[in-house]
Amino acid sequence: MKYINLIILSIFGLTSASNAQKISFTEFDLPNGLHVILHANKKAPVVAISVMYHVGSKDENPDRTGFAHFFEHLLFEGSDNLKRGEFMKTVSSNGGDNNANTSADRTYYYEVFPSNQLELGLWLESERMLHPKIDEIGVSTQREVIKEEKRMRVDNQPYGKYSEGIFARLFEGSPYRWQTIGSMEHLDAAKLGEFQAFFKKFYAPNNAVLAISGDIDDPSAKKLVEKYFSEVPRGTEVKKTVYQAKPITKEIIDTAYDANIQLPAIFAAYRVPGIKSKENKIFEMVSSLLSGGASARLNVELIDQKRTALHVQSFYNGMEDYGVYTILAIPNNNTPLNELLNSIDGQLETLKTDLISKEEYEKLLNQFESSYVTGNTKMITIAEGLSDGYTFHDKNTGYINQELDMIRSVTREDIRRVANEYFNKNQRIVLYYLPKK
Amino acid sequence: MNISIKINELYCITFLKNKMKKTLLLFAATIVLTSACMAQKLDRSIKPTPGPAPIIVFKDPYIYKLPNGITLLVVEDHDIPKISANYIIDAGPVSEGNKAGVLELLSGMLNEGTTTLTKVQFSTSIERMGSEVSLNSSGGSVSALTRFFPKSFSLFAQGMRNPAFTASSLEKLKTAKLTDLKADERNGPGISAKLVNALAYGTTHPYGEFPTEASVSKIQLADISAMYRKYITPSRGYLTIIGDITNEEAKALAIKAFGDWKGSILKLPVLTTVPSPFKTEMDVVDLPNLVQSEITLINLINLQISNPDYHAVLLANEILGGSPDSRLFRNLRERHGFTYGAYSSVGAGRYQSTFKASASVRNEKVDSAVVEILNEVNLMRSEPVNKDVLQDAKNLYNGSFALGLETPGRSATLATNILLNNLSKDFYRTYLQKINAVTPADILRVSKKYFTVDNSRVVVVGNAQIGPEVKKLGFPVKHFTTNAAAINN
Repeated sequence: MKYINLIILSIFGLTSASNAQKISFTEFDLPNGLHVILHANKKAPVVAISVMYHVGSKDENPDRTGFAHFFEHLLFEGSDNLKRGEFMKTVSSNGGDNNANTSADRTYYYEVFPSNQLELGLWLESERMLHPKIDEIGVSTQREVIKEEKRMRVDNQPYGKYSEGIFARLFEGSPYRWQTIGSMEHLDAAKLGEFQAFFKKFYAPNNAVLAISGDIDDPSAKKLVEKYFSEVPRGTEVKKTVYQAKPITKEIIDTAYDANIQLPAIFAAYRVPGIKSKENKIFEMVSSLLSGGASARLNVELIDQKRTALHVQSFYNGMEDYGVYTILAIPNNNTPLNELLNSIDGQLETLKTDLISKEEYEKLLNQFESSYVTGNTKMITIAEGLSDGYTFHDKNTGYINQELDMIRSVTREDIRRVANEYFNKNQRIVLYYLPKK
Repeated sequence: MNISIKINELYCITFLKNKMKKTLLLFAATIVLTSACMAQKLDRSIKPTPGPAPIIVFKDPYIYKLPNGITLLVVEDHDIPKISANYIIDAGPVSEGNKAGVLELLSGMLNEGTTTLTKVQFSTSIERMGSEVSLNSSGGSVSALTRFFPKSFSLFAQGMRNPAFTASSLEKLKTAKLTDLKADERNGPGISAKLVNALAYGTTHPYGEFPTEASVSKIQLADISAMYRKYITPSRGYLTIIGDITNEEAKALAIKAFGDWKGSILKLPVLTTVPSPFKTEMDVVDLPNLVQSEITLINLINLQISNPDYHAVLLANEILGGSPDSRLFRNLRERHGFTYGAYSSVGAGRYQSTFKASASVRNEKVDSAVVEILNEVNLMRSEPVNKDVLQDAKNLYNGSFALGLETPGRSATLATNILLNNLSKDFYRTYLQKINAVTPADILRVSKKYFTVDNSRVVVVGNAQIGPEVKKLGFPVKHFTTNAAAINN
């Protein structure tokens, strides 16, 4: 369903609103610590109900990687009042749509319903939070399903293993070094009791944000939230550890092999600040500048002028504690990978020495405005944006209303400064990604 | 170019493939959802009842026909300061013959600048405004902030009407395409998508043909120009403008940009009907690098959207494999753990379309998965569905109807569907009514008619051993190369 998977789309990764489209909201806490955000919007008879748990793969035990994502699957298995398989059935047979996803930092569950089903959505999410079914049948079935998911998404996917190669080396010493899908051996070894303990530790109301967005009115929505969520007991406080990755002292060079490809690729990935940093917006702007459209710098040089690349992309992957800035190219016409790397390095050097032109700066502002204006047309996107703000930006739920101003406050000098600060060889990995014979 | 690299950032519980949950709205309708009723206190074992059904109101788009053949549709929506437009040229399926790939290259060439602007000048002019313009062999689209729309729209029209078509651009795009073809030689999902249609329709049919090194190498600038002259035209053109604009402003812009445009007159082609296999066969493509095999059961169907069976077929497909609550998913994923997802789909339209049931399955389980897919299809064909199951599927359709309202310009899409498919004006007004009238007997009847298993193909692309379970079915097994050529042992 809604699966953010294409890098191409991630140029403007975050969604938000322009000044003209402030997202209004109210928020409150239940006594059990559940944070609740309401956004009333009568545009369509639709309501999105979502819960963001502040737990992701970086909270996992290093020899039980893949737990957070595994858990996401388990929480569709049912509850004390929903037999196995009934969760999804209840959603679809009442006209709704639902899904969930897991990242290194958080796990997100949602339903989108016609607005007269708000109460049903709250019941479903509260069942999941209060007493989900975590049993052997679910664990053994989802184990197989997840192995298939990995085969489909990673092992069988051309270029599917690049992030494994990058993260493992870029984040030594930090839990970001492993992939969210985790190790299949770890999942095989895990016992039922460990899954139950993971739930107890992280899936408490005081570690979650409930966001409701759509055709609702606040007072009655609030009453319904209280009705269904008040009885969920508060959990022990979740202490988030901020992990420090080992410093990178010199450029890391590595090679990875992929049986599904015929053309190699070159990746240059930098360890950079995460989404909480002020720089995060600047990295998004750099992405747009380098590869956000046919007139972007890397596209013009590599695809149109030199014609050395078939494909080029750069993107910022902002996480809670760190970020990764990745640039990649796939050669055209047997161009050597090092020639592509030289071009990429040349572009980064230019960013460090020369201010971007006023025209390019204006282009960036217009591109971001255009993208932000479109960003919040769907209720589920708004719910997620508000939840992100609360979860990752010091409880600043209205963060999405400020993003465009943050972009506008970035100067050309800021872009040059950030390039100098972060695009250095001793902060990166160069990954030669080659066809496996 | 179809290389894409995925960010493995998020992992989801399900990953729905495209399914035929088309546009299902009317211009005024009430959602009818039946649901388990009653509630009181906090007895958590009782599911909450729905509130009163929301009323949906749609505005018909403004429609104006330009003298040169373009139909203009406008939907005003002033919620955000943005306007988008798209142009669709309804040429029907186009055969590329021994130059397969020429339409794709034409699409590329349309984005390589105009007679007065180089590619970089053209894209810079557009992107400086934060606008997006994309052109292709059947039209294109543009979106822009309100204040930049007139200029962006004008560039969009210039790109379409006065493309540069330089030899140097073609050379670049051809090389890239040839490299791209090479790149995809071990891409299982990509090969499967190509092969399934090639085998079902045949490689000389517009829906079955695909570019190869030989066909792309042949393409010359003259071929691009010939395709352009024939297919990029106001004839059978539909221009839709949606957003922060009035009908009159949109009409004026359309006339200014396209009013004096002339081009060839298009007629929909007549295609000969492709026969189904006499007996169901297994078509196997061996790709040793794959850890999963792509399985697709496919057969060709004739189903116009105006066909009275249409609504029943949608529901039958929903029950079989339209969503994670459907039988294929429950069986292959939730019961057996063979796959991350199993789905079915049905196409409908003016030409032959397909019924498909598919899953990506680890190689060792291909045998069992094929058997289970066939079992589920056979079940649809032999037993009437339970009334509750049918009601659930109807509820899903009724609900999707409301959820679809979130998409701006929905009514324009529906109105275009009506025009393209020559549907009755009230097609979407009566849509849910017809969905809700489908009976279990209808489901059984259309399943037998459209979900055939005796004259089908089971296409397997991967590293699968065809074992005893499938052998028992007695299907002839044929082997193919990744370019759909039969391999004779």
